[in-house]
Amino acid sequence: MRVDRILTAILLACLTALSPGLCAEETTPNYETAIAPIFAGKCVRCHSEQVRKGDLDLSSLAAIQRGGESGEPLLHRQLDASWLWTMLDGGGMPPAAETQLTPDELQTMRRWLEAGSPAQVALSPQEKPLTQHDVLPILLLRCTTCHGPRLQQGGVDLRTRAAMLRGGQNGPVLQPGDPEGSLLIQRMESEACPPRELLLKFFVKRPTETEMQTIRTWIAAGAPEVDTQPDIATTKPDPLVTDEDRQHWAFQPPRQNTEHRTIDEFIEAKLIPHGLDFSPEADRDTLIRRAYLDLLGMPPSPEEWQKWHSHASAGWYEEMIEHLLESPRYGERWGRYWLDVAGYADSEGGVSADPLREVAWKYRDYVIAAFNEDKPYDRFLLEQLAGDELLDYERAETVSDEMVRNLIATGFLRMGIDQTGSRTMNFVPERLGVIGDAINVVGSGILGLTLECARCHSHKYDAIPQRDYYRFKAIFQGALDEYDWLSFKTRVLALATPSHHERITSVNPPLVAEMKQWQKALTQATRNASLALLEHHYPELTEQDRQETLVALGKADNIRTLRQNKLVEYYLRADLLPDALQPEHVLEARRDIVEIERRIAETQEKMEPPPTIRALWDRGEPSPTYVLRRGEYDKPGPLVGPGVPSVLTDGRTPFAVAPPFPEGTAKTGRRLAFARWLVVPENPLTARVMVNRIWYHHFGTGLVASLENFGVKGTPPTHPELLDWLAVEFIRQGWSIKQMHRLIMTSRTYRQSSRATEKSQQIDPRNLLFARMNPRRMDAEALRDSLLFVSGRLDPTPGGPPDGVTADRDGLVSVNLTSRGGWRRSIYVQHRRTQMPTILETFDYPEMGPNCLVRSVSTVSPQSLLMKNNAHVHELSRSLAQRIHTQLEQAETATSDDRISLAFQLALNRLPSPAELEISRQALEEFRLAWNTDEHQALISYCHTLLNSAAFLYID
Amino acid sequence: MHIESPLVQEFNRRDFFSRTRDGILGMALAHLLGQTMTAPRWACAEPVPPPSHSPTLHPRPTHHTPRATSVIQLFMNGGPSQMDLFDPKPVLNRMDGQPYPGNVEEIGNQGAGDIGVMMGGRYPMQQHGESGMWMADVLPETAKLVDELCLINSLWTDHPNHDNALYKIHSGRLFMGYPTLGAWTVYGLGSENQNLPAYVVLNDPLGLPKNGTRNWTAGFLPPLYQGTRLRPTGSPILNLTPQFEQPPRVDEASRKLLDRLDQLHRQQRPFQPELDARIETYGLAARMQLSAGEALDITSETRQTQELYGIGQPTTDSYGKRCLLARRLVERGVRFVQVFLEEQPWDSHVDLEDNHRAICTRTDKPTAGLLRDLKQRGLLDSTLILWGGEFGRTPTSQKSGNIYTGRDHNMQAFTSWMAGGGVKGGLTYGSTDDFGHAVVENPVSVHDFHATILHLLGLDVQHLYYLRNGLEERLTGVMPARVVRELLA
Repeated sequence: MRVDRILTAILLACLTALSPGLCAEETTPNYETAIAPIFAGKCVRCHSEQVRKGDLDLSSLAAIQRGGESGEPLLHRQLDASWLWTMLDGGGMPPAAETQLTPDELQTMRRWLEAGSPAQVALSPQEKPLTQHDVLPILLLRCTTCHGPRLQQGGVDLRTRAAMLRGGQNGPVLQPGDPEGSLLIQRMESEACPPRELLLKFFVKRPTETEMQTIRTWIAAGAPEVDTQPDIATTKPDPLVTDEDRQHWAFQPPRQNTEHRTIDEFIEAKLIPHGLDFSPEADRDTLIRRAYLDLLGMPPSPEEWQKWHSHASAGWYEEMIEHLLESPRYGERWGRYWLDVAGYADSEGGVSADPLREVAWKYRDYVIAAFNEDKPYDRFLLEQLAGDELLDYERAETVSDEMVRNLIATGFLRMGIDQTGSRTMNFVPERLGVIGDAINVVGSGILGLTLECARCHSHKYDAIPQRDYYRFKAIFQGALDEYDWLSFKTRVLALATPSHHERITSVNPPLVAEMKQWQKALTQATRNASLALLEHHYPELTEQDRQETLVALGKADNIRTLRQNKLVEYYLRADLLPDALQPEHVLEARRDIVEIERRIAETQEKMEPPPTIRALWDRGEPSPTYVLRRGEYDKPGPLVGPGVPSVLTDGRTPFAVAPPFPEGTAKTGRRLAFARWLVVPENPLTARVMVNRIWYHHFGTGLVASLENFGVKGTPPTHPELLDWLAVEFIRQGWSIKQMHRLIMTSRTYRQSSRATEKSQQIDPRNLLFARMNPRRMDAEALRDSLLFVSGRLDPTPGGPPDGVTADRDGLVSVNLTSRGGWRRSIYVQHRRTQMPTILETFDYPEMGPNCLVRSVSTVSPQSLLMKNNAHVHELSRSLAQRIHTQLEQAETATSDDRISLAFQLALNRLPSPAELEISRQALEEFRLAWNTDEHQALISYCHTLLNSAAFLYID
Repeated sequence: MHIESPLVQEFNRRDFFSRTRDGILGMALAHLLGQTMTAPRWACAEPVPPPSHSPTLHPRPTHHTPRATSVIQLFMNGGPSQMDLFDPKPVLNRMDGQPYPGNVEEIGNQGAGDIGVMMGGRYPMQQHGESGMWMADVLPETAKLVDELCLINSLWTDHPNHDNALYKIHSGRLFMGYPTLGAWTVYGLGSENQNLPAYVVLNDPLGLPKNGTRNWTAGFLPPLYQGTRLRPTGSPILNLTPQFEQPPRVDEASRKLLDRLDQLHRQQRPFQPELDARIETYGLAARMQLSAGEALDITSETRQTQELYGIGQPTTDSYGKRCLLARRLVERGVRFVQVFLEEQPWDSHVDLEDNHRAICTRTDKPTAGLLRDLKQRGLLDSTLILWGGEFGRTPTSQKSGNIYTGRDHNMQAFTSWMAGGGVKGGLTYGSTDDFGHAVVENPVSVHDFHATILHLLGLDVQHLYYLRNGLEERLTGVMPARVVRELLA
């Protein structure tokens, strides 16, 4: 293929180089005789009137002139300006699998283009008349912030032609046929509009000269208006997506399967023909640890381990699973997986200040609760995608818990990076970025589709035309409207139940007063510490110098004078000296600061959370949605209406949207319609994608390996029938996720040992057939939580505002202690994008961009360095040793063996093997000698090493 | 509907490395396991990107013959002023104090309210060297080396905010979350030294630059490719040495115990290469401790060398040390080194004349020292030096309080220079308008700049991509960028 193309290029090069005269002698090709046959032979299968890939029809010269979705001119004398030539000449058309143009044909095409695309029946160079749809997008971009839904400055609304004719205080703004006499043009030309002082306030830019010309031309032509309806799915066949496109396995509804009735039957049916069989069941201790880490993300306590270890009943395993599914820790584990799908973060990102999202945690708690109560997945989606359209909270007499919950759930769509609350980053392109992230999260996380690709052009592999991306975008337009935007600062609702309001008024006022005091104290303490530092290290500075330094410290470095910069540098040099070089009163002043900060956190903890919700809600008045050619914000194309990707439907059923509260608050109902479409049993993707995700978290690999891509470029399922069966079963069991756990975890497949054998290694090295369990490394949260749990330092308090983190000067980010002297689970740690705790980052906590469907698992030396040398890990080892010590104190005759045995039970949930016991005895003795016979120190070192072992980090 | 089972694929090197990121050890392990190692898939004749799920730092073949094998980026955070330092503007100088003749909206970044008057260059400028390159007299040492420099006066960027312009100059995008040039480089090339990080950041002990660690993030690439900060004092890498007291014998005993426990664990679990990999990371950690300590120990350098960098003199000591460390690191096979200043010292909205002079004094001699030292050691040919910031400055003064002594940000034109590995010394490329406000000739976009740097390193930016959510992600985005061939020697 490639060789072909190279040969073509060489041939062409030779032809052009050798024969300028020769070419001239040849007759110029014309469309009918020379070009139309080429298109007919090589192109129209995908680009005809009926099938219009890329919205392009190459079956007539008129259609060719009209062009495709990119809006680029196809025909141009200059080859590099001709989109047609660009695509044919190495641009990948026709696609590699299709018959290519011959060198001769390519040469003919080239000569035709260079000759100005002649035809026997010449097409009159018909200028497409401009309509209101060429002008409205410009006005939306430049004007409607002041003359649109929220504001009608001067009484003017520029959203329709009629409104322009109506005009405002100064009469009509539009004089059809007379651009220069139209107020619209006059105001913009004189730069009275948009007003200079509002450009940055409202994030608008002046129209470009081309845009002005478009408006003038339209007015000059009489401001014609056409009755174009938005492009939505109709009962007619879709020219852009064919039934053939719909044949891809993942776009067909999951199929019932009657041949097999259990997971094991499906698995076995593939194992046998490959000469493989199930591995033996893992031993009981392994199963216990596996199930605990799988469902709770933490190992069992020694008591729990003991209970299951010596449980006499035959049904102990099922009983254990039930017990685990009832644990509130379960939602903290599985909720975290969903937060990866949503791309959860406690900060906005985008700008370096990385502002905190004060109440994002409400969404986090909502997710945890949803998993704990086994909220049916269909309901879960409904609430997250359209919680604002389920109940009319705006007109409700009393706000109910359910209304609040529904709105918190919509936080799902608010998790991407959002810089639109910053001073300079709230222009339309940035807003489109926020919308793009939300679409991406829904696409990859729920639909398993790479919709993002279709933002700029039709999807390269899947049959998702660009039009469908913008129909999809229109679903969100009622809430996420780039022309009528709420920034992250203003896109918040204050909604609380009456009882919550009551608690706020009774609990908070005294705490607020207290807080003010502490804040004041903090300012003073910080000042004191700075002054103490300066006085000690620079006794030569005058009082005035010191005061000036404090002023300089309060200024950003780019607005300091040189003198101020120098003062700050002095200060920093002293401040950065190690503690050993600081006098006691400086250290004391610093301790004061830490203490006050602790008190502030404590006070904060006692406060009732505010009624604020970081929600997404429909505002009832969406701007029209235009396709954006090449994804560019200022290149509007056709008008579209809401709809789902055509390839996922039969292509003949319109997308039914109805306002949810006809008598109440105005809402478009678009997201509600979408959510309802998602959870119909025939939806080909929703259930499949979710059961695949559940499977992935149990086995470490999905039945479809590409969790985020079920399209044609995704990995085909290893067990398609099983995937379908699980999907059907999931729906049949009321979309219950816990039922899926039961189904999977009680299977023989899940209970297998993870040991590979020579044979399984040879036949199926990647274990795609599941002839054994996959061993897994703990993920970042499981590791940290397990360390805290086994050392007895885990603070199990659930929910509420996240625990703060501290970054030291070395860049080490650690989690602050809670007021109860421990640390909470990792899901409750502040997830600030620019300040993730080092331990989580080191063990592959991902950058959410905007979400993460599969975490990478790395094995790198910084991990070993952290486990070996980090003070926090060492402190936890100390706590573990202390725990062992305390527990054995009662047994008066505790031996080394007892200590070793208990350490194993705590950290690894099993007893040591004889070999391990022997090794450990020797080691304890060596540690004891190395520590000058200090037994306790020896035990700490032993515990520290055990927590570093592979047996702790890996799950069999 | 027939679905091909992807089952039958050989146990290939790709899987093998998929969880083994410390390159060399992968080879050692392969040896241990007796696996037949075939050439990696990306090493075939046609350049294709390294596989997405097999992150390693193993050295990789380039797409074409490289002109440089490592990079030192002297990053000038805050935006140095082009018309004061490099790009003389006699017309602007003559108009000093007069109002801006055009529409002030073209200048203002925060509205037009704070725009002052035309502000001529603050320092005398001379032509230097055989090339006659212009340079202000506040950079006397760099000026002596102009014939080594390739000066680009025609860079432009897309955003006048530091945050976004910094993301842009480092990662090619205006937003956070994208891999930086350094991350792409080590993703594409791996590293020559497995005992040191491939991508090293030397930041100012006085503090992090604006945007902090985002300036060296791996973005969506595996975290393996992110920059590692080496600190000049204390433990050079986070957690490199124990953060608690324990006698050396304890360390030994601990190592022995861990080794024995892990060997037992492994023996019972054949065919789990990630276990071997993990064991090896502990060995590597120990080696890294030694290597990093050695690399950062500048006491072994002669006094003469130290003086070359201005080490020992109060104003230049700190920056000089980082420049010297940068040389020691590339000497040891580190691929990409970034040297930063604290916060954004070049961002002179106030007192530009004094503030710029001060920062020139801090950096000029160390920078020249680095160039000279690399040259005399024969390393300059294989090391690409980059000097510059995230944008330039406006020709007008800016109001701050009630004074007009600084300049605002200018995204439409700025100056950077390159030196060493494969670039044309003594060249001044591109030009700006009479005020230094906008590029008028030979514009170089940030994407072009990046494509050129990768080209010098033997990488073709179009072939260096990473698959994410079905998209081929590249440093330079969707539209092909231009390798600025005029800059190449």
